[in-house]
Amino acid sequence: MDLLSRILYDMVYHTTPILLCVLGGLFAYKAGVLNIALEGMMLAGSFIAVFVALQTQNTFLIYLSALLVCAVIGLIFAYLAVNKKGNVIIIGLAINMLVPAIASFILQFMGVPNLTAKWVNPVNFRFDIPLIKDIPYLGPILSGHPLGTYIGLIMIFVASVVLYKTRFGIYTRVIGESPNAATSLGIQANKYATWAILIGALCSAVAGLNLSFERLGIFTNGMTAGRGFIAIAAIYCGKGKPVQSALYALIFGLARSLAINLSVFAGSISALFDIIPYLLMIAILAVNSAYEIRNFRMRTYW
Amino acid sequence: MNIRKVAKIVALFLIAVMVLTACGGGTESGGTGPKASDLKVGVVCSAAGQNDTGYNKALVEKVKQLAEENGFHAQIVEPTSGVQNALETLAADGYNLVFSMEYDFEALVNGVGGAKPIAEQFPNTTFVVFNDNPNVDEAGNVKHKNVYSVLFNINEPSYLAGYLYVLVNEEQAKLFGDGYNMVSPDVARVAGFVGGTNSNGILVFGYGFVQGMNDAAAELGVKYEYLSKNDAGFSDPALGSTIAGTFYDNNANVVFAAAGVVGDGISSKAKEVGRLAVQVDANLDEQQPGYVLTSVLKLTNVPAETFVKALVAGTLDQLDNLQTFGIESKATDITDLSVIEKFVVDKEAWAAIKAKVDAKRQAIGSGSLKVVNVQIGETFDPALCPNVVIK
Repeated sequence: MDLLSRILYDMVYHTTPILLCVLGGLFAYKAGVLNIALEGMMLAGSFIAVFVALQTQNTFLIYLSALLVCAVIGLIFAYLAVNKKGNVIIIGLAINMLVPAIASFILQFMGVPNLTAKWVNPVNFRFDIPLIKDIPYLGPILSGHPLGTYIGLIMIFVASVVLYKTRFGIYTRVIGESPNAATSLGIQANKYATWAILIGALCSAVAGLNLSFERLGIFTNGMTAGRGFIAIAAIYCGKGKPVQSALYALIFGLARSLAINLSVFAGSISALFDIIPYLLMIAILAVNSAYEIRNFRMRTYW
Repeated sequence: MNIRKVAKIVALFLIAVMVLTACGGGTESGGTGPKASDLKVGVVCSAAGQNDTGYNKALVEKVKQLAEENGFHAQIVEPTSGVQNALETLAADGYNLVFSMEYDFEALVNGVGGAKPIAEQFPNTTFVVFNDNPNVDEAGNVKHKNVYSVLFNINEPSYLAGYLYVLVNEEQAKLFGDGYNMVSPDVARVAGFVGGTNSNGILVFGYGFVQGMNDAAAELGVKYEYLSKNDAGFSDPALGSTIAGTFYDNNANVVFAAAGVVGDGISSKAKEVGRLAVQVDANLDEQQPGYVLTSVLKLTNVPAETFVKALVAGTLDQLDNLQTFGIESKATDITDLSVIEKFVVDKEAWAAIKAKVDAKRQAIGSGSLKVVNVQIGETFDPALCPNVVIK
């Protein structure tokens, strides 16, 4: 692969887990229950996937178990946050702390520092798409990735359609805007909020198993390395709009990819690329809020 | 009414937890039989905990084994509220020997927050710290008699790994059969290095490796390229995998990983592309069998044995306050290569390579071959390695 193709391929590699968390998490964001447990859910997904891969080589079972476990965590989060009106930050924080602790406990119990499913060779999970793979520059973006990556790319469109073109999406946005108004119209706010959280949990599961199982065949504790929080930042910057938020996820992936690929030529200085997304984010948030405050002042003579 | 029920359940649960924790603490103690000795040895683990790949684990297991054999009490601590607290508690409890595995010496040697140094507060406890020598003042004099520093000469096995790689790479056509996808030496000769952080403790691996590569390349009259990334951190294997992918794409046949679990991702990538990785600290050859050429070992059980035996014999004060463990003590070395050997096709060529590496090991052990050690303040001069181009 030449350098540019390599950069594009790695961009998609590093974007995928963030992208999936963004697209799943923005439903909860739109429903007014911020899900900061994306990180913990993603870690749970990556752990369970490799854990099950140690017991069986049945890929379907591996995917299913990761999805199931994350769904359970999502339900717990939803029950506490929606039904019991708990503080979402505290509940999310608890999940984020609990998951690595449980993983570490199980690892210690098994007497291993991390999990390696030796039968997994990441090459076998990659799908080359005929014709598209030969198109220069578009090929490495769209072809040669594992299933989870394709789910992530498709989810951009799915999330846009679901959020803006279906009753579920409209109701979800309404209860985020004004839960009381929604309830007064007979919308079951709790039901929609729970589903919104569940979608986030399931997407996090795919993100996690993409990171650990599909790409590496290994699990090390804490391997999500803050990607869930980056996703939250991306959701905020994109204001929960699927395409905009996905673009922020892509910027992170691109910066990471540049930092890695240019290090061969530029040495350690290439690590500076890692700060681009953060700089960009601060700039955009600052400009955005300055603009909003100005509007606000004009209307109210405040 | 529900709240009361819940409160009751929570209370019961808390009591259960407390009882269980108390039991857990009890099982940590050494022998259950009558104690032949009143000695007490403590180990304060580093953040990775005692269930790591080897740095803590090797020492903890050795201490436990010696405790059983000699009948003293051993306590393993994974500090939850800082190294300082753990050290103070153990010392105040009358422990004779305490190993402190974390790279954190300030409270022990200099004292923090206006307190006296822990070493001074508890002169009857002997402390052992690793990977640095903080126990000297500006004039180079020992500050506290009861603090011992352990350094590992990991530059030496790194040299062997670099030397081995070049020999293996030149003979790759004979050695490796199907399933490998090496770049032929006719096309390019490249090696990659991934370090966790840009410090002397990490660079020492890479420079030793370069020197080894250089000597082998000079013997064969060839030139090698050396690619490196020294800021990969220690926690993200996906990052390691993509960095290694870049190096392999730039024709490297081996990537040397000195970056914690980032290295796991590098081994995984090596398998994916059918090339090789070199790991550090523990014997990780089995991580991805056939794709890990060797591991640069740093075995903490060797110093553990030295200190515990001296404690039992009562000869601790005869030891020098700076203890350096190199290849001759078997505390640092490369693995016996038994895992990769199973995948090698031409056993004769392989035996010849092993003999050459062995000769270098002897030379280092006897002191006739010096390998640069930037960890103790030596400087690496690239001009001395003309057969390796450092990018």
